[in-house]
Amino acid sequence: MKTIKEIYEYRTMIQSLVRRDLRGRYKGSVLGFLWTFINPLLQLVVYTIVFSVIMRAGIEKFYLFLFVALVPWLFFSSSIMNGAMCVLQQQDMVKKIYFPRQVLPIASVTSCFVNMLLSFVVIFAVLIFSGYGINLQAVLYLPVVMLVEYILALGIALITSALTVYFRDLEHILSIITMAWLYLTPIMYSVDMVPEQFLPIFYLNPMTPVIIVYRDILYYKTVPEIATLFQALLIGILAMLVGNYVFSKLQKGFVEEL
Amino acid sequence: MMQKENAIEVKDLKKKFKVYLDKGNDLKEKILFRKRNQYEDRWVLKGISFNVKKGEAVGLIGKNGCGKSTTLKMLSRIMYPTEGSIEIQGRVSSLLELGAGFHPDMSGRENIYTNASILGLTKKEIDNRLERIIAFSELEEFIDNPVRTYSSGMYMRLAFSVAINVDADILLIDEILAVGDIGFQTKCMEKLREIKKEGATIIIVSHAMGQIEQICDRVIWIEDGKIKEEGIPKFIDDKYLASMEEKRLSKVDNKKNQQQKLSNQEKQKSSWSDRVIRSGNRDVEIVDVAMLNDNTGKNIYKTGEPITVLVDYKVNKPVESADFTIGIARDDGIYCYGSGVMLDSQKPSSIQEKGQVQIQLTQNELLPGKYFLDVGIQSADGVLYDAVCSVLEFHITTDRVTEYGIVSMKHIWQVDGKQIEKV
Repeated sequence: MKTIKEIYEYRTMIQSLVRRDLRGRYKGSVLGFLWTFINPLLQLVVYTIVFSVIMRAGIEKFYLFLFVALVPWLFFSSSIMNGAMCVLQQQDMVKKIYFPRQVLPIASVTSCFVNMLLSFVVIFAVLIFSGYGINLQAVLYLPVVMLVEYILALGIALITSALTVYFRDLEHILSIITMAWLYLTPIMYSVDMVPEQFLPIFYLNPMTPVIIVYRDILYYKTVPEIATLFQALLIGILAMLVGNYVFSKLQKGFVEEL
Repeated sequence: MMQKENAIEVKDLKKKFKVYLDKGNDLKEKILFRKRNQYEDRWVLKGISFNVKKGEAVGLIGKNGCGKSTTLKMLSRIMYPTEGSIEIQGRVSSLLELGAGFHPDMSGRENIYTNASILGLTKKEIDNRLERIIAFSELEEFIDNPVRTYSSGMYMRLAFSVAINVDADILLIDEILAVGDIGFQTKCMEKLREIKKEGATIIIVSHAMGQIEQICDRVIWIEDGKIKEEGIPKFIDDKYLASMEEKRLSKVDNKKNQQQKLSNQEKQKSSWSDRVIRSGNRDVEIVDVAMLNDNTGKNIYKTGEPITVLVDYKVNKPVESADFTIGIARDDGIYCYGSGVMLDSQKPSSIQEKGQVQIQLTQNELLPGKYFLDVGIQSADGVLYDAVCSVLEFHITTDRVTEYGIVSMKHIWQVDGKQIEKV
């Protein structure tokens, strides 16, 4: 409780770190902040070409099917990867100044989250202008699932950020893990394609329900099943609790390790 | 429970560091070179306890590595104690690092927001302080330029202005008052005094005794992870400096002893300082140099106290007359005094095969400091027989400083025609 209150007091720091990160990312490039929109749009163009023209997957509007799942996935994986490096990158600050250390992973994940929100502007633009349309009632659930995913991503980022300080290899191991994780999550395929005997294992993956909900809302344009959403929320909270516990244990030794 | 009047209570604080012999941070190194992960425990703090009252200013002194900065880091919660406890009442601001989070491409104004937010201020609090911070930094004209265009002095000024305007109850400062030019430093000291007057508690780690004496009510002297002494700044500072000097001297002694072992021939010169430089053809040789009025063996005199120098010589080649000289230089190399037999008498003195020369400096007016003695023997026409530079080290001290510089001068002050009495 005390930690939460303290982190709240440092909210301006989180804001400025996020702002610095977002602004710093495209600093010096000609198109600057526009890249935040151009990047996902170009990705979408590539997927459209590949999957509608060359590799037909047998799923209608496959590029949309893929894209509405891929954007949330990119948020999740970049949260883990950037999160892993966030304490190390700010080590000068960590070594010299006191602030609740949780601020760093929170700012890192939030920055990825803001990026995803900006990508969603592109998604909505495409959904509307391509005539695919959206179901407003279903979209009401979108903030909920985003919040759930945020909690899940933050929980895992707390763990990876703290562990990487002690064990630098984690950064590289994580890039393999996230790649494998991408293929083990129903992003490029639907859950229906998974052989039945593997299904229980698939549902152990915390990202499976999250992706299913995103796709329900945006691709199938239906209200997601509350049970699925609830399952995702439970896993998210669990990750958060574990993450917070691990982080607060490990952060005491940060300065000596860095 | 903490006592109400205390801002900080430290009880039996201990800190252990793991010192890795050769550290491997990744998996390969951790598995393959398990031996490399051997470490020793080093206790940097071996149990220190102190309280700091609200509104008090305390200085931590001690030589490098004694644990004072570690203490400060634990007070600011950057590190955690291995054992013992720290209790703190009030908002802490630690000025251990200036300009944290500064982004070179952002303007001074934006960086104020980033930096202050890292120090724990909210947007509203920063808004309220913005004018004050900019005014204090004296960077009004440049505040909207990117920080990368700043000179390093401007950069530090901006950073310090943010830090000093945080308005903490407890301010922890580590050696950062050496910022900017003298004018800005004076301003910082004034600001600190003002902050203290407003009731803030201040803890400073510094090697600048002057600064500590200006601000602190109390000094804690840490040595080898323990509190050696604490008390009034002036008193402790002097003791601290004296002990540092003593340590240095004993080190010099050690070195000298080692040199002795190396060459037995030089044995008779055991009292000679390690800085001695010798030259000359040794037709006449200096055998020993000693200073009288020297009961301690440390060659310490007071200003005004006479000094007597004895020089033993022996003749190696038949020489009938010679000139003797002495010189005194301060430890920073400034030549303070010189005298010679021939300068006084205009002719060389006849000498025996073996003998002793004595010079009494009956009116020693040197002011406190460390000095070195040079002694020389030369022929009447200036051929150097033997000279030893910095052969002896001696110290001039005083009970009370009343003058500055190299020598004391007789003087009388008159203010508006009225003579000032010396006390």
